[in-house]
Amino acid sequence: MAYKYIEGITSDVMFEAEGKDLDSMLEQASLALFDVVCQRKKVNPTKKIKIKVEGSDEKDIVYMWLSALLSESDANELFFSKFEVKVNKKGKKFVAKGVAHGEDYSSEKSGTVVKGVTYYNFKVEKTKKGFKCRVVVDI
Amino acid sequence: MRDKPSVDVKSKMKAAGTSRQIIPKSIRKGMNVDAVVYGNSKILKQMENDALYQLTNVACLPGIVAPVIAAPDIHWGYGLPMGAVGAFDDKDGVISCGCTGFDINCGIHMIRTNLTRKQVEPKIKQLIDTLFQNIPCGVGAKGKLRLTLDQLDDVLRTGANWAVENGYAVKADVEHMEEEGCMTGADPAKVSDMAKKRALPQLGTLGAGNHFLEVQSVDEIFDAKTAKAFGITKKDQVIIMLHCGSRGFGHQVASDYLRVHEKAAKKYGIELPDPQLVCAPVNSKEGQDYYKAMKCAVNYAFANRTIMTAWIRESFEQVFDKKWKSMEMDTIYDVCHNICKLEEHEVNGKKKKLYVHRKGATRALPAGHPLVPKSYRKVGQPVLIAGSMGTASYVLVGTEKGKESFFSTCHGAGRVMSRHKALKLFRGEQVKADLMKKQNIYVRATHGKVIAEEAPGVYKNVDEVIESVHSAGISKKVARLVPLGVAKG
Repeated sequence: MAYKYIEGITSDVMFEAEGKDLDSMLEQASLALFDVVCQRKKVNPTKKIKIKVEGSDEKDIVYMWLSALLSESDANELFFSKFEVKVNKKGKKFVAKGVAHGEDYSSEKSGTVVKGVTYYNFKVEKTKKGFKCRVVVDI
Repeated sequence: MRDKPSVDVKSKMKAAGTSRQIIPKSIRKGMNVDAVVYGNSKILKQMENDALYQLTNVACLPGIVAPVIAAPDIHWGYGLPMGAVGAFDDKDGVISCGCTGFDINCGIHMIRTNLTRKQVEPKIKQLIDTLFQNIPCGVGAKGKLRLTLDQLDDVLRTGANWAVENGYAVKADVEHMEEEGCMTGADPAKVSDMAKKRALPQLGTLGAGNHFLEVQSVDEIFDAKTAKAFGITKKDQVIIMLHCGSRGFGHQVASDYLRVHEKAAKKYGIELPDPQLVCAPVNSKEGQDYYKAMKCAVNYAFANRTIMTAWIRESFEQVFDKKWKSMEMDTIYDVCHNICKLEEHEVNGKKKKLYVHRKGATRALPAGHPLVPKSYRKVGQPVLIAGSMGTASYVLVGTEKGKESFFSTCHGAGRVMSRHKALKLFRGEQVKADLMKKQNIYVRATHGKVIAEEAPGVYKNVDEVIESVHSAGISKKVARLVPLGVAKG
């Protein structure tokens, strides 16, 4: 499975996401995140938002990308269901550029408010298959 | 799957008075101070070692003032557990956005009525449906207000006063709120554009998760004199409890400063026993910038709850065909749960200013304290405690003994089960049907998932939580309230 939820956090949600590279891992982590925020499979990708974030390392870029998705979703009142992202290294910086697709907020397709991405147990690692991250979000 | 604590804290706690335990600083290298845990024997059995271990992490931070406090509703959180208090020296200490949490000034606003259970119960479905209609609930709900950026800055600076000036509330509401509904010194310039963008459409919305609006009735009065001072005069009197916070605005402020404080901790060489305890020295730019931004989020939450007060009153007017003033729908009080404040406390016999971080904890001031509203000063500050959907809530009052806990007490029942597990164990529609069938409680939510996640079975027994703080003496029971109907996001 490219992402899965893990038991063990009393009030919140923890998930792991994998991919053959950082880009596909980020896309999987984005899907895991929005399965919590909304009923993602019912959300039609009719609108899109461009997102660009910078980070100081691989961990930071994952934190920044997922946090930006939460911010853009909330600010634009959109639920996201499809993601495209490309990470490039520019000098010492990591830059993630991508698009989040979704549709307008509606109560019928809502999930739970995710307050933020935390640093607790936060891991991003290279594996034999590519990249893997573990993320705990605050509900 | 959490990091395993290196110490079995639970087995090393020592009884130190009624419903009070000490975690001595000697149990772990690096702890600067002891921690104190409140809870009777039943509550202690349910406490997670992981959450207790988190207290020992906080005890390692620079400038921490003894002791780190855990209320009986403690459960694992980020950095500082929920249901905990960490106070720091105003010169050598730190300010930590990790210790305040994401939902800045999540809190409770309580309104009294002169209606009785007998009058409200037959109309409870209509009433909850009307409240649900008039107050935007849930992740997907759209706010009714659309502010300009200038208006938003006014909200961030003036808090609940904005709601009064714009006709959503009356002066008496604000006089009966913690901080009188506004923390002074909030600086909108310290808040990101994204935070403001998120703030604009959400003022006057309830949110989701554990936030709710509940219509309750008085089940028992323990302290008639204090209850009367708060406007609670008889059994079966109907009371309204609103639980919500600073919405996406507060979450963005917290996320922005989490990164700032992560870098600050490295810059100032602060050793972090847990990466989520990111912080900055109290008088550093990073520390004070956060404090000024956090105050904006505190004020936004005060305004948010106060605006909804107007729609609660309107809903009652629609259903009962009376003016809210004739139903005596006055604000009893409004308390903050997740907050950092510069307060004066007694340390080793001397008055001292401390940055007190309360996360999932409630301030509880005693009679005579100058920050208690004048009308309550003879009895003490009301403390409003939420139970879960099917269980009781409480009104408590602060005590002089609360001095030992930086005048802090519990905030709710405290979870014992993850949301993930709750979804496996409960079905929302079934929980809703059971609450109606067995307890005659009407629940209206955006969808069943949120009911399952917040089912009464996922929380500790609130009565035992209250018995713990009451017997320990850090706050005293005034009244017990039971739910009649609930609107959830």
